[in-house]
Amino acid sequence: MLVITRKIGERVCIGDDIVVEVLDIVGSTVRLGIEAPASVPIFRHEIWLEIQAENRAAAEVSVDDLPATDPSSSS
Amino acid sequence: MQIDSSRFGRLEVRDDTVLSFPDGLIGLPGTSYALVAQSERTPFYWLHSAEHADVAVPVTMPWLFFANYEVRVPDEDAARLLLSDPGAAEIFCVVRAAPDIADFTINLAGPVIVNTSRRIGRQIINAAGGYAVRQPLFAEVELNEVRADPVSMVVPATATT
Repeated sequence: MLVITRKIGERVCIGDDIVVEVLDIVGSTVRLGIEAPASVPIFRHEIWLEIQAENRAAAEVSVDDLPATDPSSSS
Repeated sequence: MQIDSSRFGRLEVRDDTVLSFPDGLIGLPGTSYALVAQSERTPFYWLHSAEHADVAVPVTMPWLFFANYEVRVPDEDAARLLLSDPGAAEIFCVVRAAPDIADFTINLAGPVIVNTSRRIGRQIINAAGGYAVRQPLFAEVELNEVRADPVSMVVPATATT
């Protein structure tokens, strides 16, 4: 992992077409501006962890918890 | 081929219904899955690992429950799915079932995209933002209002042995 120090308004370039700028720092919160091609997925890491936890929880349920038959025919 | 299932026993699965997930499902093992249904017209399927008997998650078609749901597939994900025509995609969302149906949730933030013609699947992070990982499933419709049509590539959950 590369660790570098930046001030407000300073930028980091990643490859040819990704630029990350430190827009603002308030207390322990940093606002970043990211310029990148639309083809590059950018997401908060927490969302990945949440989906991972959700998949694992979904895999824990038993068959009995799912409505097994067509709801429209059973009513 | 045959799939051993801790839930359903040994399932006979046509080779052309097996879906390749080169990067797996997020946080779950295996790269080969099949869609298993417990009945013909249920809105719920099990996305079942072909390699791990106990790994399966319930999925459904999100538009049955959220008519205005949007999915935007990032270019990189579309490339990995070999997906050039959006019409060739079938989209499912993982459901967390619960003993009480009112507690069911659906993950609208991480939909599963299946390229039906190439039989490649991938769970993506929806680039149409603002969707919840745990959205109450029955927020807009009741279960008895859901009309599910049979989906191709679905395998009946009938044990062969």
